[in-house]
Amino acid sequence: MQPVDNVNISHAAAIAVNRFGIGARPDDLAAAAADPQGWVMANLRAIDFSKSSSPNSSQILIKLAEIRQLRKQRQQLLDSGMREEDGEIPQELMDPAGNYFQSTYRQLATDSFNQALASEHGVSWRLLDFFSNHFSVSASSQGMTALAATLEREAIAPYLLGSFTDMLIAVCQHPAMLIYLNNEKSFGPNSIFVQHGRLGLNENLAREILELHTLGVDGGYNQADVVELAKGITGWSVKKPVDKHTTGFKYRSYGHEPGERILLGKIYRQKGIEQGEAMLRDLAAHPNTAKFITTKLATHFVSDTPSKELLQALQQRWKQSNGNIRQVMEALVRHPDAWHHDRAKFKNPKDFVYSSLRGLGVTQVGQGQYFSTMRSLGQAPFKAGSPAGFGDMQQTWDGASALMARIEWTTETVRRTKRTEPETLMSTTLGSTVSHDTYAHVSRAESRDVAMTLFLMSPEFQRR
Amino acid sequence: MRRRQFIKALSASLVTIHTPLLAATPLAVKSASNDKPAKLVWVIMRGALDSLHTVVPTFEPDMARLRPNLYPAIKDDLLAIDNGFGFHPAMTHMHSLYKKKQLLVINAVSSGFGERSHFDGQDFLESGLARIDADSGWLGRAAASRVNKAIAVSNSVPISLRGYDKVTTWYPSRFHSADSAIFDALQDLYQSDSLLSKRLAQGLALRQLTSEGSNGYNRGRFVDLAKSCGKILANDQGTDCAMLEVGGWDTHNYEIRRQHKHLVDLNEGLQALQESLGEYWDNTVVIMATEFGRTVKENGTLGTDHGTASCMFMAGGAVAGGQVLGEWPGLSQKQRFEGRDLAPTSNTFSWIASILSQHWRLDNQQIAEVFPQASPYRGNLIA
Repeated sequence: MQPVDNVNISHAAAIAVNRFGIGARPDDLAAAAADPQGWVMANLRAIDFSKSSSPNSSQILIKLAEIRQLRKQRQQLLDSGMREEDGEIPQELMDPAGNYFQSTYRQLATDSFNQALASEHGVSWRLLDFFSNHFSVSASSQGMTALAATLEREAIAPYLLGSFTDMLIAVCQHPAMLIYLNNEKSFGPNSIFVQHGRLGLNENLAREILELHTLGVDGGYNQADVVELAKGITGWSVKKPVDKHTTGFKYRSYGHEPGERILLGKIYRQKGIEQGEAMLRDLAAHPNTAKFITTKLATHFVSDTPSKELLQALQQRWKQSNGNIRQVMEALVRHPDAWHHDRAKFKNPKDFVYSSLRGLGVTQVGQGQYFSTMRSLGQAPFKAGSPAGFGDMQQTWDGASALMARIEWTTETVRRTKRTEPETLMSTTLGSTVSHDTYAHVSRAESRDVAMTLFLMSPEFQRR
Repeated sequence: MRRRQFIKALSASLVTIHTPLLAATPLAVKSASNDKPAKLVWVIMRGALDSLHTVVPTFEPDMARLRPNLYPAIKDDLLAIDNGFGFHPAMTHMHSLYKKKQLLVINAVSSGFGERSHFDGQDFLESGLARIDADSGWLGRAAASRVNKAIAVSNSVPISLRGYDKVTTWYPSRFHSADSAIFDALQDLYQSDSLLSKRLAQGLALRQLTSEGSNGYNRGRFVDLAKSCGKILANDQGTDCAMLEVGGWDTHNYEIRRQHKHLVDLNEGLQALQESLGEYWDNTVVIMATEFGRTVKENGTLGTDHGTASCMFMAGGAVAGGQVLGEWPGLSQKQRFEGRDLAPTSNTFSWIASILSQHWRLDNQQIAEVFPQASPYRGNLIA
């Protein structure tokens, strides 16, 4: 392990909590001060959603199937000549979905946010956000609106500190990803399904696995590889679960493309589901995947332009550990380049909201508040609108309107939250890293509200 | 230490000194000219108002020397009132109210707060107690004795109205709450950050474009808040008191421009309040005060720094306007407080106590609960 500049321990503590975590709660900085690196590592804990009262993907899929069924019944009645206007359609068939999609989406997303907001283990939540955005799914259709927030809970969180391979396979076998990228109806041209008239191959998920989830766009694959991977995961589909303890993933062997596949020059002779899984395992272990994901990781945590040394260290650790995420995080946290004093990262809206609210001692927000906040700041939950996820560079977030929206939100938030002294806020969130300039402006501000807004909008609080 | 003791003493001792300042009429509380409820609007001017650039003593021989940039900028356009004072040129409506005897000004007031911190100074002015109590405000205690509802035009209940359970807050819909005081302060703060200062300038330009001609964006402007406040007071008969906040008075630099802008806001806001109150204006008192004043001399950045005494206003159809009250302390070196600030000659809370006893007819005991440390001045403030 390499030594890190501990000359100014409080500076390192502020970096630990803000750059690696999601901002300081009132006592976090003090807790991190003794051993900032150790604090970050100890902050990496499994995130457990199993105690959450929010529905899981199985419950949602069951409900979606019910809604479909009721809608079908209604359509049948209409087709048979019954008229809605005459009250001939039973009440329970009139609007089977009601507000289900939106309310489920809001409940899940807000529940996750609140767990993070109050969490002792901010570093884990930042890492979860990173991989959730890496495997971005959007609340696009009705079904996806209800399902989007379950992917990170069920397929990412359980593997967050473990093997990337396991996470990749879990994600690619999760109903949210399968539906989002249309794999649930992708069947091999020579499969029994297609021979009997079903639609054929859909390359969407396979392409994004290669381009976005593993090798990266310049990762050395071609169109033939996309098709081969797509065929390898044909039949990876979704079925209504029996109950909430069974998963919605269903391998449909009749839809799987028979025969061997060649991906990146390697032959896969496995039959059935094992074929695609073997392909994913190899993709996860590919050096270009190590390079692609560690670069994204360093860019996310440290800088839009991370140093070559840092990137090399992360890649090396990725290879040594077979893509063990905790190990790679350890390499990041122990690297001196990750602790430079410049605040190189402009906070994205979610980070900014997390860190502001945590600093102000807020431990819970309402659904309406959370959604209107994130919409106005341009990062509505699970609304990246693209499988590439939200951008992670400064230019994604530093626009003039975005800044104005942050100012408005901050002004309103400090007025609504219980009173905190500006000096207290400064010292509990950034400690001695507050610049003299900001300190002077904040302590001289003409009112407490203005002081709080100035600090949260200060150059050092906007970055990490 | 001396400073603190002196200013504290103000609250107790000045009651007797200042009775002659007021008209010698006995404390005769007139019944309101009609049976509408007596409404009260408390406007806190956050940031420490520079009274010398607001209610200007034109008779002071040294003004141009003390304020070589500030004074000449407005000198020729002042709006004359009595006793040699002139209102800042932006205060056109306030001037006409003064002429109609619906606005009075009190010079050289202080709450008795002895420090120069905005935060604590505002808390002190809002709490009205000897020691700042963030859970109890003078307007809340006064409203409690009226048992009527109060409204704070704010996102949360300000200290002034705390401690009373019939207070509601109202603020226009979300995300349009930042005001010019915040943008001014951020422009200052961002001077050393080229990205953020550029973005803020672009954002403000954008905001300018989109707010013109629409009522959508600038909902946090004081004029709009004051207008809405008046509507609420006029339409909700159970609500007879309200609080508004107006910031931007911390004019350490570029005071000519800033003070002008904020006085325009204040002036327009008061007019909007009056218009939206309609006939209720006749029974309304608007109290406007600030946490402390500013230095007599201009500083090196075309502004003024934290001082001691400032002025306050009372306006409304119920006010015995057209008067300049408060003993003038003078501006010579030895007349200044600590050689630097406008010296206080009377207490903000005592003036408010007077208006509460006359307008809301609070009795002595009730006044003592509202302001344990200050007694009302005698004399009539109500028309």
